[in-house]
Amino acid sequence: MAGRTTLAGLITVLLVIFLPSLATAQDINFSVIPAVVKIDNLPPGETTEFQLLIHNKDETAHDFVLTAVPPPEEEREEGRAEFPDPSWIDFSSPEVHIAANATANVTVTVAIPQEARWTGNDWEIWLGVAAESSDLLGIKLFVRLLVSTDSPPKAKFNAGLFAGIAVLVVLLAYSGYYYFRHKAKPQ
Amino acid sequence: MKTVITSIVTAVILVLVFSLPALAQDSATVTITMTGLSEISISLDKTQWPLGTAASDTEYDTSPPIEWCTLTVEGNCNVNTFIVGDDAEWVTEPSAYKWTLSSDGTNGEHIYGLWFRISGDTTRGPLGDGYVPVTKTQSEFWPYSGGSSSSLAPGNTKQFGLRLLTPTYFISGRQMQTQITISAVAA
Repeated sequence: MAGRTTLAGLITVLLVIFLPSLATAQDINFSVIPAVVKIDNLPPGETTEFQLLIHNKDETAHDFVLTAVPPPEEEREEGRAEFPDPSWIDFSSPEVHIAANATANVTVTVAIPQEARWTGNDWEIWLGVAAESSDLLGIKLFVRLLVSTDSPPKAKFNAGLFAGIAVLVVLLAYSGYYYFRHKAKPQ
Repeated sequence: MKTVITSIVTAVILVLVFSLPALAQDSATVTITMTGLSEISISLDKTQWPLGTAASDTEYDTSPPIEWCTLTVEGNCNVNTFIVGDDAEWVTEPSAYKWTLSSDGTNGEHIYGLWFRISGDTTRGPLGDGYVPVTKTQSEFWPYSGGSSSSLAPGNTKQFGLRLLTPTYFISGRQMQTQITISAVAA
């Protein structure tokens, strides 16, 4: 009898309750539109925005969390560098509650600081949308955000402006000369 | 005097006529492209694994082992998928006790291993048996480098199973919980 008790105690010590899943099973089914967003010619110092549409296709409401994360290097599109700072991306609401079979729009704002080094770049960053859940398996959908900043202004000869200024200078000089000559002329 | 004013006004008009079109060419238009309003979505037909009690230093496979859960591409764009795991926390007091997720699928004291295997994958993984460790670093689920696989198209499915390797030693009687996230990005 004592031996049985010891064995039972030993088994109890070795056992643990793992992943009990006491919560009700909740399959998560949602989508995000669009899957890819491409921003071109964004000048440093300026801001632009677009919207993501999250569709909760479940029969129950869910909280969705949005994050901006750098993608793995091997997953970036060819020619794209890592987005320098995820904090340049802002969500109108980083956490959004969406009712069953409903949709919600989240505004994403991209702001590039005004520094010369940020001109002429091609970057990629991923926007993650995940449904909060206590289940073992969860789903996260990533939106590819491709950002290209405006090229640096090229120093070029502006013939029109040069001609206009030249004409203005000549006319001003001639007008001044004519005016003072006329004024100094004895009546 | 009248001639002077007329000349100056003419000169200013000339400058503006020549220079404004040239200056306008220096300003760029920010364009945002949302590729065909593509929708990204994946679903899993199972999100829980009610394992119950578990012994130390023991392997547990889902049942069926490699066709336990089905991932389906629901959206309208091809996707690449990834998997990432996390530490298992004590449900009652998550900050007080946890099992650390191993970085290579092995176990230790309070360290557990997690593996996945995709149906049809017989040679993938460090042991060449199709099982791949799930770690805290996001890694490829499907497709994967080194394989001849391609991204998943809308309607495609992938069946997979999980394997848990419990720690060699842990505090018993504690309900543990973790989360595995499967993510997708447009290919």
